[in-house]
Amino acid sequence: MITARGAETFILFTVAGTSYAMRSRDVAHVEMLEQVTAVPNAAAFVDGVVFSRGQVIPALNLRARFGFERAPYDVGTRLIVVQTGGRSVGLVVDGAREFVAFDPALIRPPSAALAGLSGHYLEGIANVGDRLILVLDLAQVLLFDDPVLQEHL
Amino acid sequence: MTDDVFAAGFMDDYFAECDEHLAIVRRLLLELSAAGFGEPGLRPTVDQLFRSFHSIKGISGMVGLRDAEALAHHLESYLRLLRDRDARPTEIGINALVACVDALERVIAARRDAQPPPAVDDVVEQLEHASTLAPAGAELAAADAAAPDRQRRVTFVPSPTLLARGVNVDTVRARLREVGTIVDAAPKIVGGAIIFEFVFAGAIDEATIASWRDDGIVVAEAPPPAGAPLEPAADSATPVGPSHVVRVSLTRLDDLMRMIGELVISRARLDDALTHVETHVPPVEWRAVQENVQVIERQLRDLREGVMRVRLVPVGELLRRVPFVVRDLTRDSGKRVRLDLRGQDTEIDKFLIERMMDPVLHLVRNAVSHAFETADQRVAAGKPPEGTLTLAASSIGDAVVLEIADDGRGIDEAAVVARARTLALDVPDPPLDRALLLDLICRPGFSTREETDRASGRGVGMAVVKTTLEDLNGRMSVETAAGAGTRFVVELPLTLAIADALIAHVGDRMFAVPQANVREVIELDPAALRRIERHEVAPFRGGALPVLRLSDVFALTPRPGRVLHAFVIGAGADVVGIAVDRISGQREIVVRSLDDSLIKVPGVTGATDLGDGRAVLILDLAALVRRQAASLRGITEAAS
Repeated sequence: MITARGAETFILFTVAGTSYAMRSRDVAHVEMLEQVTAVPNAAAFVDGVVFSRGQVIPALNLRARFGFERAPYDVGTRLIVVQTGGRSVGLVVDGAREFVAFDPALIRPPSAALAGLSGHYLEGIANVGDRLILVLDLAQVLLFDDPVLQEHL
Repeated sequence: MTDDVFAAGFMDDYFAECDEHLAIVRRLLLELSAAGFGEPGLRPTVDQLFRSFHSIKGISGMVGLRDAEALAHHLESYLRLLRDRDARPTEIGINALVACVDALERVIAARRDAQPPPAVDDVVEQLEHASTLAPAGAELAAADAAAPDRQRRVTFVPSPTLLARGVNVDTVRARLREVGTIVDAAPKIVGGAIIFEFVFAGAIDEATIASWRDDGIVVAEAPPPAGAPLEPAADSATPVGPSHVVRVSLTRLDDLMRMIGELVISRARLDDALTHVETHVPPVEWRAVQENVQVIERQLRDLREGVMRVRLVPVGELLRRVPFVVRDLTRDSGKRVRLDLRGQDTEIDKFLIERMMDPVLHLVRNAVSHAFETADQRVAAGKPPEGTLTLAASSIGDAVVLEIADDGRGIDEAAVVARARTLALDVPDPPLDRALLLDLICRPGFSTREETDRASGRGVGMAVVKTTLEDLNGRMSVETAAGAGTRFVVELPLTLAIADALIAHVGDRMFAVPQANVREVIELDPAALRRIERHEVAPFRGGALPVLRLSDVFALTPRPGRVLHAFVIGAGADVVGIAVDRISGQREIVVRSLDDSLIKVPGVTGATDLGDGRAVLILDLAALVRRQAASLRGITEAAS
């Protein structure tokens, strides 16, 4: 892939009709979601566990994490397996199909107007060409004990 | 930078090698500190220590770990000093050696865990201070040190004739002493007769040697095994340990275990596939297939056990630091503690050993700092002045049991209750149920000690012991009696990777329950269950069995049938039945741990694949029962 100088590759995915992006260097792979085993008494936004390449990893539902209604899995549903800080976690998203490359310097902090629950999990917003891309703050998404979560449980 | 990259490839080997040397060093230091003054054979100990430090210095330099290299260098220098003066270390010297070895271990561990290196200046200072003090016994061998003589082997064969001439081993010894020093002496039985062999250093001329020969004394040039030359270049190539031992990295064994796990899953798939074709195959052919499947199953089990055995190491490795910890803690305390180590040959998975090191040391520290009284107090209480700390390991079936017992003052239940009440916990008056007592002392921040001391009592220790054990699928119990002592019993699975499990169903969900945790499996008549307050009980062996429904614990919808199946767990007064819709059979499962905090839930220890790619949760029923009991207590607290 040819990228402009200073550009980084991001993977685009959708959750509840909105497009988000995360750095593809954090992503180990993307897979179809087949069988998720529910884990009783786990956090509300955890769908359960799945086997991914011989490892048992949690499947974290981003719809639930962002405070949207859960939707049944369909042919578009994907599990984005991220690897960061020694952890492997699968993120359940409505769809993931596209890569995009842009300079991370374009990422601006999210405006206060975007105060929805998902705003808490954003690193910022990038204006790339004619599209607005919401860049995910992965560390915040994967944090277990954050105060926002406690409020919404 | 390139050096670092270059070295990175060797680091695993480096850590393994250091580990071996440090194990030897620990053992030798113990010998050194236990040996009485003037005891023969101390020299080889010092020499071996010297060699180990020298090797550590060399390999640390190679991988660029300068702190370790410097420490090993200081240690080596101190030992050289001892050796040159042919002296034994003083008490201060031994303490400095122990402290320095501790620091060396920490420095190496810090590099392994990518942590910043600890400060080592004070221990180096301690060692240097020890070096300036004249080691005791230096004068004994002063002459020897001034003019080191060639060593020779002197053999004396006593006989009645010689005895008649007044030549016996004592006179031979005296003769040798006149002209030099006896470095080592050992009687030997050769062909039914006794002979005496001396390693001797001193100047003797040929004429003397010739005259001695008539008296049954033979002098030979000796390549003495004990006083072997210590020139660094010579020993750097010496392999440690016997040559028929292969060192294998744990990662490779893990890989092997994983592959066997995959084989187990494939076999399960084959079984599944076979049941679908059974009706299409003529019985004779089918029997042949079945026989082969059974042979494969048996061979697979053997293979699995073989690999498991390779991973096993003696528990002694876990306990090897205990004597040092005890020694360190009792030093200025007025306490006397005797260690009773038992069952050190009991074998346990290497991974478990590493994880159990800290919890065991914590229990030991706790016992020494808090449980034991001072010698005076013990005598006043009518006990022997010396306390006994027993560490016993044994294996029972697929589990290893570790006991850490002291004959100290026992856990002060009144203090535990008082402390619990200051934390607003609803606890009954003593005597406490032992499970509750353990639960309380393992609470984070529970320590009943007002002040923290240097070794323990920070209030985090017991909590860490508990969580580590839960992670390892182990369990712990405690017995204590005022004035008589405390006994912790820790039970661990022999290995974590593969287990036999029973498969349980609730509604459309499936769970695996390790068989080792289950006492028995029973069938319950739902109509016979009686509700007593919030509990259900079933008639069982003439008594009543409290029953917990897994569907209630996990908020699942059960699929009610004519009968319920239940796992019976626990013993004595703690027997509980866990009811499920159905238990469908026994399977060999490959355990995958649930590591991520998002899915760490009490009572769920891992997941397994039964052949269809779907994750099936592995349950720890005992943990579930504890959690349920705790939440019921929580309800009581809220209601009162």
